[in-house]
Amino acid sequence: MRQQIIEIQGLRKRYQNGVQALDGIDLVVAPREVVCLVGPSGSGKSTLLRCINFLEEPSSGVVRVDGRRIGFKEGDGPPRRLAARNIAAMRAEIGMVFQLFYLWPHMTALENVVLGLVSVKGYAVGEASRIGQEMLRKVGLSDKLEAYPEHLSGGQRQRVAIARALAMRPKVMLFDEPTSALDPELVGEVLAVMEQLAAEGMSMLIATHEMDFARKVAHRVVFLDKGRIVEMGTAGEIFDRPRHDRLKRFLERVGK
Amino acid sequence: MNIDFSVAWQYLPILLEASVMTVILTVLSQTIGTVIGFLMALGRVSAFGWLRTLVGIYVWIIRGTPLLLQLFFVYYAAPAIGVTLDAFPAAIIAMSASSAAYNCEIFRAGIQAVHRGQIEAAQAVGMTYARIVRHIIVPQAMRIIVPPYMSNFISHAKNSSMASVITVQELMLTAQMIYSSTYRAIEILTVTGAIYLFLTSCLTGLQLYLERLTSYEERGLSRRRRRQLLLDRPVIGIAA
Repeated sequence: MRQQIIEIQGLRKRYQNGVQALDGIDLVVAPREVVCLVGPSGSGKSTLLRCINFLEEPSSGVVRVDGRRIGFKEGDGPPRRLAARNIAAMRAEIGMVFQLFYLWPHMTALENVVLGLVSVKGYAVGEASRIGQEMLRKVGLSDKLEAYPEHLSGGQRQRVAIARALAMRPKVMLFDEPTSALDPELVGEVLAVMEQLAAEGMSMLIATHEMDFARKVAHRVVFLDKGRIVEMGTAGEIFDRPRHDRLKRFLERVGK
Repeated sequence: MNIDFSVAWQYLPILLEASVMTVILTVLSQTIGTVIGFLMALGRVSAFGWLRTLVGIYVWIIRGTPLLLQLFFVYYAAPAIGVTLDAFPAAIIAMSASSAAYNCEIFRAGIQAVHRGQIEAAQAVGMTYARIVRHIIVPQAMRIIVPPYMSNFISHAKNSSMASVITVQELMLTAQMIYSSTYRAIEILTVTGAIYLFLTSCLTGLQLYLERLTSYEERGLSRRRRRQLLLDRPVIGIAA
């Protein structure tokens, strides 16, 4: 069988306040595949992404990235939880982009991109800076290397955040509603960067409300509701020929 | 009433010598209190409930009782457990303990002001907790911490005068000894006050310097930092 980049089996997540955010998710993402997660807010899209890089610890189930179990060491006997250092090393191979960007405000755009390379991968600052400048060029921000986040627009901040993740040369990129916090006129510039990434063959898992974007870029669309996968298929199947009532109602509400 | 500053002038060298002790007391105990306070602040925000409680109880007791009492307590309690402490180490212990309690709360506020999402972004890049503290939390917490930290430092400098009660030969005790033998209280206290004011003014200066140092986006990158990042030369293209 071909090695999948992400494999999720029976993933459940119950928060301490009793909310069952994920209720048995099975999903694979193939190398170079772009999968979009759609669904109402609270459906579990964010939690699913956060379980993949172990920002949330799953209550049960297995997540593998590039064949390796996330958060646990497998061998003889029951799986053991990895040390914090090893979990950090695993996260370095998974790029993540947040809805609210979360750039570090005390660093310039370039320093935001460079920090991971220097402090995690051990690159010399000069070498890291070359890569960082290249990444910022790729997202169209060559002229903003020395700008601090507060002086950048939302769209520019999100593109810096994408460059920051890409600089680590991740095996897969996770996007958590990357355009939901942006002014409408700034959404396009971020989607364009993501579209370019998809065209280059990056494996991507994207939680989004941008149905047109999903239609254009996604190989597969997954509809989540109440922590379960309700329907999964090509963009055409999901958007034009929805089978489940819940999906139909959702599509009516978002007006597609 | 006659005022005669010539007496004060005559005793100035002795007062200055005593103020060296005041500086040593203040700086040494504040330094120890800063290091311990920082570690306690990390404990105060840690995932371990027992550690948070432990640090909380420490802060509650030390911040809730007078420094004067703590000075006496360390000085007189130590022999009871079989240790004889000179006045100076006793003062350093009590003042460090006090400084640590206040600094712990100041640092905690600074750490908690850093948005959780920024820490998650650092985790997502693969940074370990120690690196996140160093590169993300401390630099940002610094600018929040500087004003209350320096206020506390200034209070601490003035509170060092309390060490006089356990016979540490610092500025206040020396002043008292001089005016009780010369009966020139007003002159001696005026000069002593001026010395305190000078010392605390140095701290105010340090505060201004630190505030400037931590206002990153106004200063931009330093020349050294730009050189490290190869920003001082034309862009060299590399293959993607």
